[in-house]
Amino acid sequence: MGAAAAALLIAALAPSVASADARCTGVMASGGRFATCFDVGNRLSFTAGSDGFGGGIAVRHMIQFDDEPDLVWKLEHHIAESTHAAFEDRFVGVVYQGRYLRHARDGHIVLPLGTPKKVFLPFDIGARTAFGAIRWRPGEGARIGVVEMAALVDVSRSRGFRRRFAIGPLARWEIEIDRAPLAITEHTVMPFSSVIADLYVERANGRTTGELRFEAGTVWRGTHGWKPEVRAEASVEHTILAINDRPIALVAGLRYESATDEAIARVGARIVLFDRRDPRARLAPPARPR
Amino acid sequence: MRGLYAAIAVIGMGVPAIGHADELPPAMDRDRVVHCASDKEGTLWRLQCDPATKICLYAPDAELASDGARAKPLERARTCEVDLPFDRGRLEAEGYTMLPGRPDAPWGWMRDERGRVFQVNFDLKKRLYFGVGYTPKKILENPLQSTRTSIDFGLFSFEHHERGGDTRHRIRLVEGEVHLEPFSAELVVAHYDMSRRFTNPLLRITTFVGTPQRHDLHLNVGMWSEIGGLEIHKTPLGHSQLWKHAAAQITFDLWQSADLSSFARVRTGLALEGQNTDVTGYRSALTAGSAFELDWVLDREGFHNLRLEVAHDLPRYFVPLEYTGKLAQRFRAKLQYEAIILAINDQPLTLKLAAGGEKRDDVPGIPYQWAFVMDAGLRFSLWAPPRPRS
Repeated sequence: MGAAAAALLIAALAPSVASADARCTGVMASGGRFATCFDVGNRLSFTAGSDGFGGGIAVRHMIQFDDEPDLVWKLEHHIAESTHAAFEDRFVGVVYQGRYLRHARDGHIVLPLGTPKKVFLPFDIGARTAFGAIRWRPGEGARIGVVEMAALVDVSRSRGFRRRFAIGPLARWEIEIDRAPLAITEHTVMPFSSVIADLYVERANGRTTGELRFEAGTVWRGTHGWKPEVRAEASVEHTILAINDRPIALVAGLRYESATDEAIARVGARIVLFDRRDPRARLAPPARPR
Repeated sequence: MRGLYAAIAVIGMGVPAIGHADELPPAMDRDRVVHCASDKEGTLWRLQCDPATKICLYAPDAELASDGARAKPLERARTCEVDLPFDRGRLEAEGYTMLPGRPDAPWGWMRDERGRVFQVNFDLKKRLYFGVGYTPKKILENPLQSTRTSIDFGLFSFEHHERGGDTRHRIRLVEGEVHLEPFSAELVVAHYDMSRRFTNPLLRITTFVGTPQRHDLHLNVGMWSEIGGLEIHKTPLGHSQLWKHAAAQITFDLWQSADLSSFARVRTGLALEGQNTDVTGYRSALTAGSAFELDWVLDREGFHNLRLEVAHDLPRYFVPLEYTGKLAQRFRAKLQYEAIILAINDQPLTLKLAAGGEKRDDVPGIPYQWAFVMDAGLRFSLWAPPRPRS
């Protein structure tokens, strides 16, 4: 943020810039109104499914600049997301996961040597970070993902959050530990030696989302050295009903890891406990003319 | 208003030629008034006149496409004055010369010949960064792999200093590095330190030999703290984890730059830590630590950055270790130079060169002798806004 830009910085939740949309407001015969569009990026949700029960907090917002209207930072945060199996000692969670994408109409590289020169690029850039991922399951130790970082190039160049196709180099440090007695057994490090591809689509009404994430590359393990590794995960969420304008969605997912040669599917229901109401939904009845 | 424009002398010039970046026309001054005026065709131009040099710069009030056509509104340009009269004929009669120029850009930014803006000044003390480092040693059978690879990261670095203020706050969250073969890792969850410049001297010494003279002794005291530090080492005897629960030190700045972004200081204080090794199990220690630090931004644009740390830690274990007793020693020194080599979408990519050494006897399996390492790598930073104007 430049000095001038700082004074003109507008940090706003993304939906707040949207105006009311008739397609996002349902009207009953009796005149009652209900939301048909939902903000999937700002919510506290609870999920119960075949892999257990859990929940998490999602926040997403944009930073815009008055003096550079073509520039926007799209920030997404996932906080304390976790799932614990109902009938066995299985847990998956992450303390913080964030994605920060800088969308500009003119992507470019600046070469600062001599007189700075500007070379144009047709993509947005950003990063994905995660901190404090934990995973364990019966009969095995725990895996702690200390930190994860990826530099992203988003070729979809969307100004909003509804479309993303980002690729980039990925770094990760994981520790495998025995839980009793507590001892480190293995370090797994991916020093930007893998590539991540992340595809995300969201319908305009926020009722259906889909994400496909694919990682492939070489991983260094303290006991085995360098090995190729592939991870892939796909997930779909579709809202089927809403109670008090808070959506309940069916979720389904599939995850594959070459390290364990496992593919695990899951299906469940996600209940939104609190969310930011999509501002396009106008639930208050129109004011009566005086 | 249109009448006023009609009265304005014609700005009779065509589309400026697109020149090479090395032959850029002069840029308008961001801090001075910029006029906007229309030519005969109604096309808007930006103009700025300097009474001292008798030169008026003019530039299109738009970014230009590669063919010179006006493509889009200017970004990050100051609002131009359309209500003030601009009389070209009168100005030329007064001796002013009209020259093509570039529109103004904010501090830390510049424009190319087409009016496109880009950042040329970066504050690497405000950023999210991650990088990868390599040493020249490669596996011959597979040149894509390196046995001496490292990654480093800082998920949030932020410094706050009010212009003209006497205090600078520094916050860093989730910062660390991981080295492969031999494996070692360091992580600090939260770091906070503060530098302060005291305007009143601690001591005033007046000498009366000859003309009385006053000599001020300043002591710029600050503080340094970290919570949630972790060091992991893998040795022939197994893993060693050093949990640095909390550390607090007092700092004495020996030198400070005007905005406190650069400094040389010594610090000393105490830390509470616990060590868990496969050989000795877990034991706690109270550690006395001291260090000399130099953090120096070498240029105004923030392109060259130098850091030096020489530190000594003296852990005193509550339960004695078999091989060192209750006291252990840790010495380390690290020199790092970081330079911006290019920026992608105004986010800098930097080259990092580092050299360091360490000598310690607190980890079983690590011999008590100096070990040295050198790194060269690249870092990618997000955010990194322009450095404040000094």
